[in-house]
Amino acid sequence: MDWIRRSASIGLGVALAAVLALSGWIYGGVSSDLSAQQRQREAVLLTNALASSLAGAPDAQVVGERVAQWKREQASIESATVIAGRELLASTRAQDQAPRNLQREEKPLFDMAGELRSAMETNVGEGAVRKKTIHIDDPRDGPITVSVPYVVDGKVEGMVQARVRPGPHAVGAAGGWGLPLGLLAAAFAIGAVLRVSPHRRFDVGRALAVVALLGLAIGFQQQRLGRMAEAMVASEAAISQIQASAAATYARTGAGATPAGAQSVWDTDAYGRPLGLVSPEGKPVPGADAALRDVHSAFVERSFWAITALGLGVLLFFVQGYAARTAAALRQNATAYAYVAPAMIGMLVLVFFPFFYGIALSFTDTTLFNENLPFRERWIGLGNFASILGDFNIVTRSAEGTVVNYQNFYWTLMVTVVWTITNVSVGVSFGFMLALALNTEGFRGKTIYRVLLILPWAIPNYITALTWRGMFHPQFGVINQVLQMFGFEPVRWFDGVVSSFMTGLVTNGWLSFPFMMVVILGALQSIPRDMYEAAEVEGASKWQQLRRITLPLLRPTLVPAVVLSVVWTFNMFNIIFLVSGGEPGGANEILVTKAYKIAFEQYQYAYAAAYSTVIFIILLVYGYFQTRVTRATESY
Amino acid sequence: MAIGQPRNPLWLHAALISFTLLTIYPVLWVLALAFSGQQSVGIVDLPKDPTFLERLRGVIPWPAQFSVKNFVDVMTEQPFGRWLLNSVIVSLLTTVLGVFLACTAAYAFSRFRFPGRDQGMLAFLVSQMFPGTLMLIPLFIIIVKWLGLGNTFWGLVIVYATTAIPFCVWMLKGYFDTIRIDIEESARIDGASPQTIFFRIILPLAKPAIAITALFSFMTAWNEFILASVFMEAESKYTAPVGLRFFVGGFTSQWGFFAAGSVIVSLPVVILFMYLQKYLVSGLTAGSVK
Repeated sequence: MDWIRRSASIGLGVALAAVLALSGWIYGGVSSDLSAQQRQREAVLLTNALASSLAGAPDAQVVGERVAQWKREQASIESATVIAGRELLASTRAQDQAPRNLQREEKPLFDMAGELRSAMETNVGEGAVRKKTIHIDDPRDGPITVSVPYVVDGKVEGMVQARVRPGPHAVGAAGGWGLPLGLLAAAFAIGAVLRVSPHRRFDVGRALAVVALLGLAIGFQQQRLGRMAEAMVASEAAISQIQASAAATYARTGAGATPAGAQSVWDTDAYGRPLGLVSPEGKPVPGADAALRDVHSAFVERSFWAITALGLGVLLFFVQGYAARTAAALRQNATAYAYVAPAMIGMLVLVFFPFFYGIALSFTDTTLFNENLPFRERWIGLGNFASILGDFNIVTRSAEGTVVNYQNFYWTLMVTVVWTITNVSVGVSFGFMLALALNTEGFRGKTIYRVLLILPWAIPNYITALTWRGMFHPQFGVINQVLQMFGFEPVRWFDGVVSSFMTGLVTNGWLSFPFMMVVILGALQSIPRDMYEAAEVEGASKWQQLRRITLPLLRPTLVPAVVLSVVWTFNMFNIIFLVSGGEPGGANEILVTKAYKIAFEQYQYAYAAAYSTVIFIILLVYGYFQTRVTRATESY
Repeated sequence: MAIGQPRNPLWLHAALISFTLLTIYPVLWVLALAFSGQQSVGIVDLPKDPTFLERLRGVIPWPAQFSVKNFVDVMTEQPFGRWLLNSVIVSLLTTVLGVFLACTAAYAFSRFRFPGRDQGMLAFLVSQMFPGTLMLIPLFIIIVKWLGLGNTFWGLVIVYATTAIPFCVWMLKGYFDTIRIDIEESARIDGASPQTIFFRIILPLAKPAIAITALFSFMTAWNEFILASVFMEAESKYTAPVGLRFFVGGFTSQWGFFAAGSVIVSLPVVILFMYLQKYLVSGLTAGSVK
């Protein structure tokens, strides 16, 4: 009962702590993103301004002077270089002694200049903004390197590269610990004076606790949102100051008067699109950046609401008495929980968490190359599922004939279904025939046959697969030797869709019939002999005995065995992967091997996760219908 | 055909013998390669235009000359000994960890009634339906990228142990249920703590079931190929399955090493399997045959 008395205080404290921690985490992440954006914006602005001041320079010397002037006047520019063709035209670095030719180890610079030029030409040619014309390299904790095209008379001559160390920016100011700690103390204090009773339907103490939590949480979040807005305004002001200072430097370099609206050409994103406050006509406009900021604020606001709802849940867990009950249960069954905990924690971390993480991953566009981005930037919703399930481009007909797109999901699904059905049929029919043969009464040598026939089941299946791969070897494999022995042409097993499928079928048939045989044999032996004797007396033929006695009595054993074997075959990764490898051209891939290849050969983690999720759903649907069918046969 | 007088029709024996020969042919083929002392995928070297008989000789799984060279070389010249040792270490650790986790959990599920018990057991059962490939990518990210356990034994061991847990728990719980509770009660009256009861009374009584569970965990780890190939990238950390594939997959074809290695790897598993198969089959069919 002690727990219940204190539950308002503890509940408020824990719930608010959760809210504060999560809100602070989201706020910190977004504001550090914003801060990085501001830093890059400043660097790009300065580099653009510098580059534009060089446009009218008559020779390398003037270019060098102007670059030097920029470095003198703008403290945040650490160094700047101008590259034209194969020449280093100007540089502020003492060791460079420009102008000179680029050296061998500076080849990457030459390549980058070429890349920027072609990007620019592509954009101009297409009349669209598709390629990035500005290259930004931001290590986050050092100077930012910005590379922009060096344009003379509307022609891209080379590249201007500047290392800029932007001044500190206000966005992302952490906000301090004072407020959250104060709020937490307030929560504990309020909770301590409240009296809650979990048994009453409506309780003033409980309502007050909810109100207090909402008040404190929303107060904190509004404060943080306000701070973010302030910081954005401050950084906008900082940017316009830098613009003004850049314009002054521009004028002093002798490049002529600052063209009207120059700032909007300078303050751009990586595609050269204006971000800032000033239109080309020199009028202040809310630019693309404002919209971007709105996106951020909206994200933060939405997250804050979700977090508040979560905090409310935590609070209710406490004040409704669930926490007290949980604590009591934990105390009473401490031994039991201690025994279960290690296995349970292992399962949670390595089975259940990965499962849900995999499903979450399938809603993103994660690949090897962007996996370090924050989760919210990778989120693409149902895109993967749409492109897996919505792609019906299976067969294309052209002048040369029909071409099947083996990468298509439905082709792979079809192969998987055919694979499963044929394999299970082969396994069951061979298993059934052998079991019938071995079940002959008084049959000698049964044990030795059984032991030898069970061997394929005992051998690890990856060894089986690799062995058969060797036997199917197109040149030296024994199977082709036997074919040639009888005058047939050797078959290039892995080059044809059907022959390659056969290799998998033979291998899997070989290793799966013993299971069926053993299961059926066990069931046959449990059928009482006198049933057959009675049937014999009644004059039933062997065929009638098989139809009327054996098969119906086998059914309860056979159905679960077939169900199991369908799932095993459907997921039989090793055989396909190791025997044919899905050859030719992925035509014989089944769903699971396909998912593996997407993940570990194409590194499309998210796409593979979505693929696997689809496989899981297929198995679930199968499981659902299978239980219904099994129930129906049980009542039979 | 299962009734009447004892009889052994010749045709049935003929059919069964030929089918059995076909069945064990791959096994004999591997044995022949393993003892042939050479690396090629053919059992004997065939001349350019072989005759029927020469081809027949090439198909018969009997090496041209007997030699244990492949076995010696694969263990000494090749890093296979190292890989085998890796497999042994991983499998043993998996067995110890898996059996320990499964025993404690199964004991609690069997002997205590506590809130969440049924849900917990159901959760263990449900987890068996999660498809391997769906788990593979997140596990790769968690184990290799987050925990940095790629190329370590522990990465594989904890994953193998947890995947083996549900089966082991259900199996052991069933066995614990059959141990009469009055033994424990009398121990408790004598003042034994739950720990003492568990370690001194229950575990010794459950030895047969624990042995089966341990073997199952061991075989799970010993035969696993996909996770090991994803987690273990460094050649020195390969397990035996990954190593065997290394011999004949991709660009190399050292079939002699593969065959010798396969024999070494399969032999213990096959012997265990033959010994255990009657339990396995009875377990599979017990519920369904009336």
